This record gives sequence, structure tokens and C-alpha cells, in this order.
Amino acid sequence: MALRVDMGMVKDGAQKGLKSTIELAKIVVPTTIVVTILRASGLLDIVSGLCASFMSLFGLSGDAALVLISGYLVNLYAATGVIVALQLPLRETTILAVMLGFAHSLLIEIMISKRAGSRISVILPLRVGASLLAGMILGGLL
Amino acid sequence: MMLLWEGLIQGLLGVWTIARVVIPLMIVLEIAQANGLLQRLNRVLAKLFRWIGLSEEGAFPVVVAIFFGLTFGSGVIISYLEEGKVTEQETRIIGVFIALCHALVEDTAIFMAVGVPIVFLLVPRLAAAYVCCWGLSRVLQWRVQNSPAVNQNT
Repeated sequence: MALRVDMGMVKDGAQKGLKSTIELAKIVVPTTIVVTILRASGLLDIVSGLCASFMSLFGLSGDAALVLISGYLVNLYAATGVIVALQLPLRETTILAVMLGFAHSLLIEIMISKRAGSRISVILPLRVGASLLAGMILGGLL
Repeated sequence: MMLLWEGLIQGLLGVWTIARVVIPLMIVLEIAQANGLLQRLNRVLAKLFRWIGLSEEGAFPVVVAIFFGLTFGSGVIISYLEEGKVTEQETRIIGVFIALCHALVEDTAIFMAVGVPIVFLLVPRLAAAYVCCWGLSRVLQWRVQNSPAVNQNT
């Protein structure tokens, strides 16, 4: 089969990509600014200390809690912004990526699942459960 | 003030890191869609989906979700389900699959941009979704097979 490619498609794709990039900038830039301030103020160390024992279940440092929370509640771009700002090692980034793959943008996506005919009482525990389980398995392996 | 600058620069670096992967991918995805590649792929994958209880109609919203994600794909997915092209059992299987496994292009690109190997991004989600849906389809099938007998007894 011949693949049809014209400038219109490239333009549409680029436009969508650019639109995503602007949305992304609106989330990532404020996120990294907030994280930088949190880190400098010492507040991050306190939060990190509180979360450390829970995060160690997944082989992660306490700092990584901030990545999980922002990914679960906001989206993957926010989580990536935090990863970049915290300069987490690749091992932790990989574990977080798998965990967040299963559960992210939950506030929005749960509502979409509901509209698509699924029950929240099934989908939410399924996604969070898969995320935590994957974290424990991968945390032990890596 | 220095802090704000530092945060801003890191943020912009992060945006650039992600954008240079996501924009080219969006172009590729647009070309794939304009050529009807999704429908073709759906036909090729039909057998894999039949094992988890999805017909060709039922598999299409899943393929859309896998490539476009829940947010971008929601319009197509929801209208498709509301049109009644799939059974109630299929709706439940589709729901579980797309909850665990969607936007594999975009989500994978985001984390590849920060260095995560692609296997970690694709295999766990696809495998978990497939296994969960396989189990669910067995349970649903078992229920369908057993419900008439229950009705006759009562």
C-alpha cells in the first residue's frame, strides 16, 4: 500500500504538537519554579523525610513522592517537570515512569472512564493498585 | 529572584526536552490517521483481541485509546460506545483495557525524553491490560453461560 503524505497532514500534526507544547509549558514551567523554591526553602526535605519510609517500598527516595503526587493528580508533564527539577537518577525515574504509566491524571481520566461506561469503584482501585504493585516489583528488581 | 530564574530555565529546558520528541510524533500520528492506518492495524490485531473477548468493533476504541490516549481519543471512544456497536460485556473489557493502557505514543515519548528505556514503558502496561482483560473475559463468559441455568432453577 502507498502511504499518502501531504503538507496538510504535516501542518495539522505540527499544530497539534505545538498546542501540546504550549499546554506542556503552562504546566512544566510553574512546576519547576515551585519545586526549585520548595527545595531551596528546605520544605522539600521535610516532606521528603515524612514520605521516605513509604517510598522505600518502591525502592525510591522520599523526594520521589512529589513526582508521584503531581503525576497522579495533575499529569505526566507535571511529573516530568518535577523529575527534571529534582534531577532524580535514571533508576528512580524508570520506576516512577512505570508506576505513573498505570495511574496518572486521575482526576480527569477517571471521569472519562466513567463517561465511557466504566465504574469508578473498579477503575480507580485497579489503576492505583497496578501502579503500587508495579512499583514494588520493579523497586525490588532494579 | 535567582531562584525564579533557575526554576524558569529548568522548566523551559524540560519543555524543550519533551517537545522535540512529542511534536514529530504528533506529525507521524496525523499521517497515520489520515491514511486510515488505525483501521488496518485493527484488522491485523483482530485475533489478539478476540482472545480477550473483543470483536473487531469492540477492538477499535481500544486501538484508538492506545494510540491517541483518553483525552484526545475520548470523543471517538465515547461516541463509539454510545452508538451501541459493542455489547455490555465488551464495554467492561474495553474500560479495563483503556484504563491501564492508553496514549502509548505520547506517554512513552515523555519518559523516553528523560532517558527511560522503551521496554519499561510499553511491556508492563500492555501485559497488565491484556492479562486483566483476559481474566475478565473468562469471568464474564462463565457468567453468561451459567445465568440461564440459574434462571431456570428459580
